Amino acid sequence: MSIHIHHISKTFGSFHALKNVDLEVKTGELVALLGPSGSGKTTLLRIIAGLEFADAGEGSIQFHGTDVTNRSAYERKAGFVFQNYALFNHMTVAENIAFGLRVMKRPERPDREDIEKSVTELLRRIALEGYGSRFPSQLSGGQKQRVALARALAVGPQVLLLDEPFGALDAKVRKTLRKWLRQFHEETKVTTLFVTHDQDEAFELADRVVVLHEGDIQQIGSPQQLREHPKNEFVADFLDCVMI
Amino acid sequence: MAAIIISDPTRTTRPRKATAESLWSRWLIISIAVGFMGLMFVLPLVIIFQEAFRKGWEGFVQAFDDRATTHAIWLTLKVAAITVPLNTLFGLAAAWCISRFQFRGRRFLSSLIELPLWVSPVIAGMVYVLLFGAQGLFGPALKEHGIKIIFALPGIVLSTIFVTFTFVARVLAPQMEAQGQAEEEAAMTLGANGWQMFWRVTLPKIKWGLLYGIILCNARSMGEFGAVSVVSGHIRNKTNTVPLHIEVLYNEYQFVPAFAVASVLALLALVTLILKTLTTTQRGAA
Repeated sequence: MSIHIHHISKTFGSFHALKNVDLEVKTGELVALLGPSGSGKTTLLRIIAGLEFADAGEGSIQFHGTDVTNRSAYERKAGFVFQNYALFNHMTVAENIAFGLRVMKRPERPDREDIEKSVTELLRRIALEGYGSRFPSQLSGGQKQRVALARALAVGPQVLLLDEPFGALDAKVRKTLRKWLRQFHEETKVTTLFVTHDQDEAFELADRVVVLHEGDIQQIGSPQQLREHPKNEFVADFLDCVMI
Repeated sequence: MAAIIISDPTRTTRPRKATAESLWSRWLIISIAVGFMGLMFVLPLVIIFQEAFRKGWEGFVQAFDDRATTHAIWLTLKVAAITVPLNTLFGLAAAWCISRFQFRGRRFLSSLIELPLWVSPVIAGMVYVLLFGAQGLFGPALKEHGIKIIFALPGIVLSTIFVTFTFVARVLAPQMEAQGQAEEEAAMTLGANGWQMFWRVTLPKIKWGLLYGIILCNARSMGEFGAVSVVSGHIRNKTNTVPLHIEVLYNEYQFVPAFAVASVLALLALVTLILKTLTTTQRGAA
């Protein structure tokens, strides 16, 4: 599914988090939103998910040509992964993963056995077989984030949004998960947007990288384009390469 | 020759904390605390039960074989049965507003919730008399329609709601603020609507705090004297709640019945204390 972001602005009080942002993400693309903290990248992601709403005006968001600007988060059903996992601590791992399926409306909701089957399948996929009856507090950070990913994927979302998904993890786990995510994306081709402040992460994972600074998009391009032709001083400085 | 002994492994004193007091001052502080609690809280409780059983078990039971007493207990239960669910609902709504929404006057609202703690309960009662009493603002209109609020059950319920409003909201608001709403956001992106989010995610997170607030609210609504005293009119068999009834009995020199009924309230307090401790440990564990 493609995402069209058109003239989106967001202010918090007198702070302009986003200034007239335009962005297009093609179906099956893996795009990184890269920028320092306070650049507006998380705000943009949350607006796409429907967890935050853009300032009223001419701005609009379209999912595959359908206008979703005023739709709530639960209508948009974009898979979202939070930096701090946001797992339901009072539920087991299996219940966490099954949540999205269980809250579906009657006619769409799979029956008990099918839910169990998809949970088992997802647990296998994130290499946590046999962890279904554990609680989030009994898992490591890396395991928690895998569960959060599985939970988001259970409902078969058309878009996957990841907010600093590996930010709270140590370097080694981060590398493994990065590889895993890349592989997962190759297999499923779900349109994916992820926020990061880590240039290596963005360059290693993404097809295209969007560089944000103070609520403005500075440059959009493939890792190679960015490295070779940084558009302005900020991009060059942030990516730590010399401007030619 | 004289080696400096830095540590002697044979000495087995406990490691002393930097903030620890000397033995004497520790004993002094402990005995002040325990002595004060004993004198002010435990002794009165013991006396209540002692007086209640002054004429033995029979005398105690006999105290409840009285229409006015059973009516008072019944009325108190009725008041609590109306007040507690309503204040649970109000408290939840208020805590939700304060912890989840950003709006003008949010700070003011969160201090307003504590109003019942600063305002004398007598004033809480007076307000309703001034509003709904015969000479009150809405008095004539109510009289015309034959609605009786003051010196009747509605007045008692209203003033009890005023006095006990604070408990649920005060426990929940800081807890909900501290927990944040990441889990709720996750639930929403997974397709849960507001109702499902509340029942499946929010409520399980706050259930121990909620229970704690409800227990406190219940204890206070059954024990409230001042506010109810103003609006009730002390009509025996009609508008006397348990605390008011105890006063009546006491003023009539019926000491055993007075203390027997009082012991029921004291028991309620003890049960509340136990439940409160249990829910607090659960909250800590959660």
